[in-house]
Amino acid sequence: MIDEKEFIKQLLTPETQNTAFQKLLSDYQKPLYSHIRNIVLNHDDADDVLQNTFVKVFQNLKNFKGESKLFSWMYRIATNEALTFLSQKAKLSGISSEDLQNKTIDGLKADLYFDGDEIQIKLQKAIVTLPEKQQLVFKMKYFEELKYEEIADILGTSVGALKASYHHAVKKIELYVTTN
Amino acid sequence: MKTFKLENEPKIKSGFKAPENYFDDFSEKVLQQLNEKEVKVIPFYKRKKTLWMAAAAVVGFAILIPAINNYRANSTDLDEATLENYLSYHSNISQYDLIQKLDDSDIEKLGNDVTLEDETLEDILATSPNIEHLISEQN
Repeated sequence: MIDEKEFIKQLLTPETQNTAFQKLLSDYQKPLYSHIRNIVLNHDDADDVLQNTFVKVFQNLKNFKGESKLFSWMYRIATNEALTFLSQKAKLSGISSEDLQNKTIDGLKADLYFDGDEIQIKLQKAIVTLPEKQQLVFKMKYFEELKYEEIADILGTSVGALKASYHHAVKKIELYVTTN
Repeated sequence: MKTFKLENEPKIKSGFKAPENYFDDFSEKVLQQLNEKEVKVIPFYKRKKTLWMAAAAVVGFAILIPAINNYRANSTDLDEATLENYLSYHSNISQYDLIQKLDDSDIEKLGNDVTLEDETLEDILATSPNIEHLISEQN
């Protein structure tokens, strides 16, 4: 595997840019798709947000300082894009973000690109009741199985705070599933 | 009711999946979008819609300034000359009515404002046919 600094250099050099960007796309498209899909919930929206994410990544590569890993930086862009998309969509529909997510979850049964049963839908409904930060932490830890250190780097928080957030999220989800 | 514990359950997957072959042409789609963005020229007026609106508001306000000034000029108190002309030529208030309205302080003020030479005063008194009537009125 080539050094990250070298790879970024390739991304910024016009002669090597195309090949390097193709590699970036093939390495990250699947994990970033899952990450975004877990936030926006439906495929079409995830497709839009994923494309925008890569366009933003490409446009901002020259500003990438290398202070964090390319991985965290791209996840951060994807997270911001997905959250912005959700709030704009909710605003356009004139409902809250939570109501929008609930509506999308209700439509999941008929979604061609959702392969889940009752418990999965219930879990999604439980997640929507959490504050935004806890939702993110839970999805990244439980579904995407990212390490606490990676999540901390992406969200810019400490590992300790993340562990606490995840713990609270799990407790609330368990209570929701038990009582509903 | 059985208490639900995430750690006791088999791992629950998110259930989300992408359409088949979705990733096969995804990079193509992104690269195409990037090329389009590079050549696409966004007109200035579209990008800076709010800026234009702000500029229009400033221009509109600037146009209104003379109107506002005129309105203010028109609505200020009447100047003395206009008042004097009105009283002299257009009103049915006679000189006599005006004199009746003056009190001592007004007369004193008039005395300060109008400086009459003794000679002029004598002339007026000598030539005025109503002098006797005025003197008796004053008393």
